[in-house]
Amino acid sequence: MSNEVFKDASKMSGGRESDDAIIVIEGVFKRFKDFEALKNINMQVGRKEVVVVIGPSGSGKSTLIRCINRLEAHDDGHILVDGTALTTDIRNIQEIRKETGMVFQNFNLFPHLTVLTNVAIGPRRVRGLSKSAAEELAMELLTRVKIPEQADKFPAQLSGGQQQRVALARALAMTPKVMLFDEPTSALDPEMINEVLDAMKELAQDGMTMIVVTHEMGFAREVADRVVFMDKGEIVEVGTPSEIFDNPKEERTKKFLSQIL
Amino acid sequence: MITWMRRNLFRSITDTILTVISGSILGYVIFQVFQFVFITGRWEIIQVNLKILLVGRFPEELMFLVGFSILATCFSIASLASGMNRPIDQPPTLAGKLWGLFQRFGLIIATSAFLIVLAGDMAAVLFGAYVVLSIFAGRLFGIARRNTPLKRLPGWLWVAINATLPLVLIFLTMGQAALEEWGGFLINFYLAVVSIALSFPLGVMLALGRRSTLPLLRWLSTAYIELIRGAPLFVLLLLAGVALEFFIPASIAPDAIFRAVTVFTLFTAAYLAEVIRGGLQSIPKGQAEAGKALGLSTFRITFLITLPQALRNVIPAQIGQFISLFKDTTLAGVALSVFDLLNVGTAITKQDDYLGQGLIYESLAFVGLLFWVGSYVMSRESQRIEKKLGVGIR
Repeated sequence: MSNEVFKDASKMSGGRESDDAIIVIEGVFKRFKDFEALKNINMQVGRKEVVVVIGPSGSGKSTLIRCINRLEAHDDGHILVDGTALTTDIRNIQEIRKETGMVFQNFNLFPHLTVLTNVAIGPRRVRGLSKSAAEELAMELLTRVKIPEQADKFPAQLSGGQQQRVALARALAMTPKVMLFDEPTSALDPEMINEVLDAMKELAQDGMTMIVVTHEMGFAREVADRVVFMDKGEIVEVGTPSEIFDNPKEERTKKFLSQIL
Repeated sequence: MITWMRRNLFRSITDTILTVISGSILGYVIFQVFQFVFITGRWEIIQVNLKILLVGRFPEELMFLVGFSILATCFSIASLASGMNRPIDQPPTLAGKLWGLFQRFGLIIATSAFLIVLAGDMAAVLFGAYVVLSIFAGRLFGIARRNTPLKRLPGWLWVAINATLPLVLIFLTMGQAALEEWGGFLINFYLAVVSIALSFPLGVMLALGRRSTLPLLRWLSTAYIELIRGAPLFVLLLLAGVALEFFIPASIAPDAIFRAVTVFTLFTAAYLAEVIRGGLQSIPKGQAEAGKALGLSTFRITFLITLPQALRNVIPAQIGQFISLFKDTTLAGVALSVFDLLNVGTAITKQDDYLGQGLIYESLAFVGLLFWVGSYVMSRESQRIEKKLGVGIR
């Protein structure tokens, strides 16, 4: 039954999809046993847009972006990434994962591989580049995140901030169209947060489409095109940073902002 | 020294009493062992039977085959152990290399030298020299290879050739010399080497099978593992001695060595599977997720990311399995009448010259020594590999 819905849905949204929407999320539900993590999420992300998702913990913001690259399977509704519908079809899933990069809270670097190999493994094994081409690309990206000199070290020899920048380079090595950030600075010591945020700002300036789950309100205000406030699995309020931070309409938004600012 | 003794041995009255008691027991034991080894022990039984202990009644003119196959085995072990893809920051000096080799293989060399002196027999001298030289050659080759431009493919080819060469040579050897003519430590050695080589991939497959999302595969792997682990090894060996006749006509029934290898492989694989599964469970979920997010296939995530880390985490337990397999090869002697080191060791005490003289002590001591050397070297290698892989990784 759900397949039927998908077919119809992809046709429908195929017609409706505007040229600049790269991610379309419609009526998405996600349940963990009895717990409803996502309730009827509707959202679109345009090309080159930077969307920051904020909200209290347990509000479903991580679950939402993990659904976009199918680290979690959504239960109802449909998700389209660059025109490809997320279904149980593994080819679609792989297609979408190639187009989306992800940066995790705990970096999740591969500890048994050098920094260079960590970055080169995607282009080499998924895109099928030769070893030297993949390593050249990896070196380029490490230079871009300003740690080319760490290429031959292992992840554990790097600081948290450096590790997260390697993780960023690793995701970028797949030349993704969309970048997903799942609380990228939450596991970092305070003095390292800025080096990661700076790298992300540069990426945004270069025109990357980004969805960022974060508690860094300063970053949201400065970089976001839109801010999404989520609570209890629902999108409560969407707006520009100034709309959300200076002039929130919903009670729940006001309460959340008063607690953290 | 005196302060150390006072602090650690004679701190209180109870300490002193314990020290005196255990000290005298230890002294007595050491005295007895020394007396046995250097005075009362009649080692000529070993000396005379050394060749048969090591290789059985292997035809003199075919000894070169033994040499070659041991050479090939040592080459492959050495090139595997030398770490295929490890970057070298500072290439060691020649003196450093030699010292490293001495540290690692000094025990084997000393044992070989001891055997050679003991034997004074040309065949045994050659045998010992083969072992020592092949290990050295394999090590030096392994070290040199990493710094040459021909790195990856030739490396793997070399390993593949080396892995097959000993097997081919074993079959060649077995074909040429009638089966009952080879025996002794050579049998234990090859039972262990071949079973380890075969059980490792099987164990990995079983471990992955048990964690698979396909129910049938998971059930089969689990059933196999639990079934095998529920049976004593000795019973399985005895069964293999008779049960195969139910399925295969006696005329073409496989020989005892084949049966032993089969049982050891199947048995060790089940235990290894559980060890490796434990290793896989220790890898955080985020590792697989990071692989998925990159678009890597499940196959690549397993073989490039989770499995290598899992295997590294359980090196000590894996080597432990291999060591116990190595020692358990003596069971094949009893269960399947394979003429292995232990069987030879007990048989020689019944020779006319030595019958009824209680020389079983000397014989068993020698058998034990050979197994200890083998096990100790394996255990040392495991620590070394662990240290090498652990550098800057954890």
